[in-house]
Amino acid sequence: MKLTRWLKSWEFSLAVMLVVEVLVLGAINPAFLKVEDLLYSTNDFMHIIFAALAMTLTIITGGIDISSTSVMGLTSIVIGLGWVAGMNIVAAVALAIVVGTLAGLFNGLFVAYTDIHPLVITLGTLFMFGGIAAGLPGVLDFLGFKAYGAAGFSAYMYEGITGFPQSFGDFTQNSIMGLPIPLILIFLFALFLALLLHRTRFGRYLYLIGVNQEAAEYTGVPVKKALILAYTLSGLGAAIAGVMLTSYFTSARSDLGSKDLLPIITAVVLGGTDIMGGSGTIVGTLIAGIFIGYLRQGLLALGVTSDVVPVVTGFLLVVVVAAKLLVARFNEERLNRQALKSRQEEALGGLGKEVS
Amino acid sequence: MNRLLRNRELLVFLLLVVMVIGVGLVSPHFLSPRSLRNVANSSLILILVSVGEMFVVLTRGLDVSVGATMGLSAVVLGLALNAGVALPIAILLALIVGVLAGAVNSVGVAIFRVPPIIMTLGTLGMYRGTMRILTGGSWIETIPANIKHLAKLTFLEIHMFVWVTLAVILLAVLVLKKFKPARYFYLVGDNEEGALFLGIPIQRTVFVAYILAGFFSAMAAVVFVAQVGFVPMQTGNGQELKALAALVIGGVSLTGGVGTPVSAFIGALFLKTVDSMLIFLKVPGYWSNAVGGIILLVAVYFDYRLREAVNLRQLLSRRKVRMEHIKKVRSAVEANRNGHTHEES
Amino acid sequence: MDLSENFPDATNSSTPLIQMSSIWKVFDGVPVLRGIDLDLYKGEVHALFGGNGSGKSTTMKILSGVYRADSGQIRVNGRPATIERPTDAHNVGIYMVPQEPHIFPHLSVEENLLTGLDKPKGEVREQIERLSEEMEFHIPMHTSAGSLSIANQQLLEIIRGLLRDVSVLILDEPTSALTFREVDHLFAKMKALTNRGIGIFFISHRLGEVLEISRRVTALRNGEVVLSSLTKDLSSSDLVQAILPDDGGSGSVPASQPDSDDSGAPRGEVPVLEVKSLKGEVFDDISLSVKEGEVVGLAGLVGAGRTELAEAIVGIDEHARGDVYIDGRLVRNRTPRKCQDLGLVYVPEDRHAHGIFLDLPHLYTTTSSILPQLGRIFISFARERSIGEKYMDQLRIKANSLYQLARTLSGGNQQKVVLSKALASYPKCIILDEPTRGVDAQARQDVYTLIKNLKAQGVGILLISSEMEEIVEFSDRVLVMHQGTIIEELSREEITLERVMEASFGMVGGQIS
Repeated sequence: MKLTRWLKSWEFSLAVMLVVEVLVLGAINPAFLKVEDLLYSTNDFMHIIFAALAMTLTIITGGIDISSTSVMGLTSIVIGLGWVAGMNIVAAVALAIVVGTLAGLFNGLFVAYTDIHPLVITLGTLFMFGGIAAGLPGVLDFLGFKAYGAAGFSAYMYEGITGFPQSFGDFTQNSIMGLPIPLILIFLFALFLALLLHRTRFGRYLYLIGVNQEAAEYTGVPVKKALILAYTLSGLGAAIAGVMLTSYFTSARSDLGSKDLLPIITAVVLGGTDIMGGSGTIVGTLIAGIFIGYLRQGLLALGVTSDVVPVVTGFLLVVVVAAKLLVARFNEERLNRQALKSRQEEALGGLGKEVS
Repeated sequence: MNRLLRNRELLVFLLLVVMVIGVGLVSPHFLSPRSLRNVANSSLILILVSVGEMFVVLTRGLDVSVGATMGLSAVVLGLALNAGVALPIAILLALIVGVLAGAVNSVGVAIFRVPPIIMTLGTLGMYRGTMRILTGGSWIETIPANIKHLAKLTFLEIHMFVWVTLAVILLAVLVLKKFKPARYFYLVGDNEEGALFLGIPIQRTVFVAYILAGFFSAMAAVVFVAQVGFVPMQTGNGQELKALAALVIGGVSLTGGVGTPVSAFIGALFLKTVDSMLIFLKVPGYWSNAVGGIILLVAVYFDYRLREAVNLRQLLSRRKVRMEHIKKVRSAVEANRNGHTHEES
Repeated sequence: MDLSENFPDATNSSTPLIQMSSIWKVFDGVPVLRGIDLDLYKGEVHALFGGNGSGKSTTMKILSGVYRADSGQIRVNGRPATIERPTDAHNVGIYMVPQEPHIFPHLSVEENLLTGLDKPKGEVREQIERLSEEMEFHIPMHTSAGSLSIANQQLLEIIRGLLRDVSVLILDEPTSALTFREVDHLFAKMKALTNRGIGIFFISHRLGEVLEISRRVTALRNGEVVLSSLTKDLSSSDLVQAILPDDGGSGSVPASQPDSDDSGAPRGEVPVLEVKSLKGEVFDDISLSVKEGEVVGLAGLVGAGRTELAEAIVGIDEHARGDVYIDGRLVRNRTPRKCQDLGLVYVPEDRHAHGIFLDLPHLYTTTSSILPQLGRIFISFARERSIGEKYMDQLRIKANSLYQLARTLSGGNQQKVVLSKALASYPKCIILDEPTRGVDAQARQDVYTLIKNLKAQGVGILLISSEMEEIVEFSDRVLVMHQGTIIEELSREEITLERVMEASFGMVGGQIS
């Protein structure tokens, strides 16, 4: 019985859609199907998946974190500045991840301790973190560090901070046993989050909060702590994404990922997470993220310009959600009408009355 | 609550004045007519977008596609002008595009009940992409002089666009206050159940709200094209978020039912003035986002503390009333128990 | 003070304003109204009296278009009327002032009044002025409605109705949130309205008020009319008697024999729960205690403050002051979690809003309070399932599987799930708040069995219920709460249905308080 349930699940449909997509794209351009390329091309959109995986947690609680893209940029800049200031690259990366996680913590505290809607809070932090990321080089430069990197300010504006050690850039280029490192990391991160979400009580708390926060409070669920942790993890996911991107481009920029909010949220929603909270899976987000990533690549390979991609993504987002809504509402109404009718006929008929 | 709102608008305005004067003290050139005019001119776009967004937010909705709509209208305007279309027609075309873009959102939200954030996020992507499709991805580098001329027109030393914007806001204020169906925005946002009970056409109201948001974004596009003189692909980027921030700062509640075009105006003006001030103080431009974000967070936190305080006060006063009541009941019970035939009422 | 004589004699006008005949309404398979016949004449105040769940509110909601009757007919001024939505009711001159007025808090008073009206502004303004004068509604028009007191909100709703030229006004429990003075004011206004020929349906469970203001009273019980007569011919005990169940019980509560082994005498010295001088928003200075194996019934009507008290005891109301001791230990900074850890759980009144997680498997609700016990790092699903199965079995929860969504379970089964959540932490004391509301007969029996079992196991129970029979049947002691204070305390021997009922309505020693 568990197997049939899985077969009917949204995640399965997604997986099927993904396979179909790959086959279709492969049919159009056979080069697409080369396993090596298929795997390597995930590097292009890995950052979206990292952020989306982490964002799944916050959306399940009924909130949202739109500051992820700014945290990515912030993380990136911290790496760059740390490096330029003479830090060991590993230390710089570690620092950056800590900074990103703390940014998430800031969001979490705000969300947990005030009744302000998470959308508004993360809107503010989107600006704030983004602005800080943009302004930090200037501050450090002012303080005497060569914050813009060896190449100077104008080069920075164009390319970001560069000059990283070879090992840093290789990190995202290399692979282990044929699998690109970023892909391995994605799976590890996904595994970690999936275990957290589906097998620990923290994860269960998130679902409870998302379905009915008041009931959760009445039941003694540690709502504040759970929310804080969820947003902190969201920050962590964005931080990792930022590190990955910086390594991939071997350039630290504060505006890294700024265009990616749409695909990130699309991945989460397409993955089956309800925007109102209470349902969603890591696997769903993962598959949906890959789906969207390949979609982009496929469209590009078809000669469609990169500008059209958001059209398709946006359209997809709307259509999928609308369709799910319609189907759900249709089913609900049908069930309701049936149940109501039969119960009423039962009750009234037994009492000798007609339904008017 | 209206008093509070007016106080809020006043407060923000005063802060604005204080800030301006403060900067003026450091850098007197800031207060020169020329620089003030610049500030005014550069705020027009955000003001218009914010007022449009306000209609949606009043109904407790959200529209994050207004920036993309602005970009799309700007592209259409630019292309039309470059193709030789007469200025008035081209502008009309741009406005129509705005209305249609808004209408798509309306259909999704009001009819299909797609959550606003999803719907408008999707259209954001679609409109941005469409912008690039129409132009082949490149900027529209040149624009006929006729529209740029519009931006230079002045009346009494103040640019025509400023007058027009002020007039539009005034119109919006009047319509919202006096025109009965316009009040529906507030009713739907303030108490949807009550509105349903009293027969208010909720679906229609929400429908109109998103169309208005699109329309105002298109107006902002016209101003933009005239002022800037070319249409980059980033046109409108981030305007929706700035507009939301402006609304929140100006006192428009994201839960609906509260706010006026003046709130949107003040909030947008405030944000833009902060931007200008930073430029004037030679603070690098990218700090403006950080400052904007901090201002937003401070504003909402302040609102939150205010709400808590008001709630507490109401709670305490209600309690006082109940306690008096309870005392009376108690004494009546005592009297009865002691056998007196004394009916307290 | 009996005003009923002052009303114009309305019975000589031939057709009643309103005639409701054989109204039936079924909710979820349960008949809530069983053939109600009701009418209203011009210029009269007709009170609808009854306990919780008697159907008085439902009847009026049907008349005002919020619900649709399943069967029966409504006539307005002799002509049949189809009322399917509130605006239909408005169109035939019927307006209901709900218990919680529909106010647009951020809009002005004037705005609130004008909403939805189709008339020219000038004419309406004048009308508003006149009506405000008449109703002594002295709030400036531009004030925002959110700041209005409940009394004024009600007046606002009444004026709204008057602006629509109503001939029938329905007031649903209007006095529950009013001070004595405000009630007097309201009554004076009602009298003025009836002098004009307007008919008023007055829903209330307050004996004194009903007798004071109405010309006729119709009492409902369990969806049926049990009494309908001119007020002047009735006394307060007549009314209370009318809504008591027939002797021999209604069949929903089994005839009881004292348990042979446990005569109800609780064991243990230290109470499992002790409350000292608890003060909250709607209640003051409440003290009570529950001993091991004791069932303390907390009776009273809706609005008496019992749920608020319970919420204050477990710490959901953070502003309440006073002390709570669980098993003799003072609980500082009470939260539901702390109380649960110390052995006190609360089963909420509103299970949908506060008790159950509808869109998740019901198993998740059951285990939601004890998740830490399911594993240190990872949840042991096997253990979770076994706990779920245990309670499904013990409480006879009817579901297809442990993972069936709670939303799809019947009301009775949902309540059992909420109960299982409470039981899972092996509490020493449980506060049950309306445990059988909206629960079918069979499930109800199961809950009663559970209560008996818990008692035998030594669990202390604070039973909050509006079903007087339940209270009488199971309680070792009864406390009756009335308008925020404990008005009566009955020991085992003193517990009778009549005394509990009367006290709930505020009658002590034969007199209304």
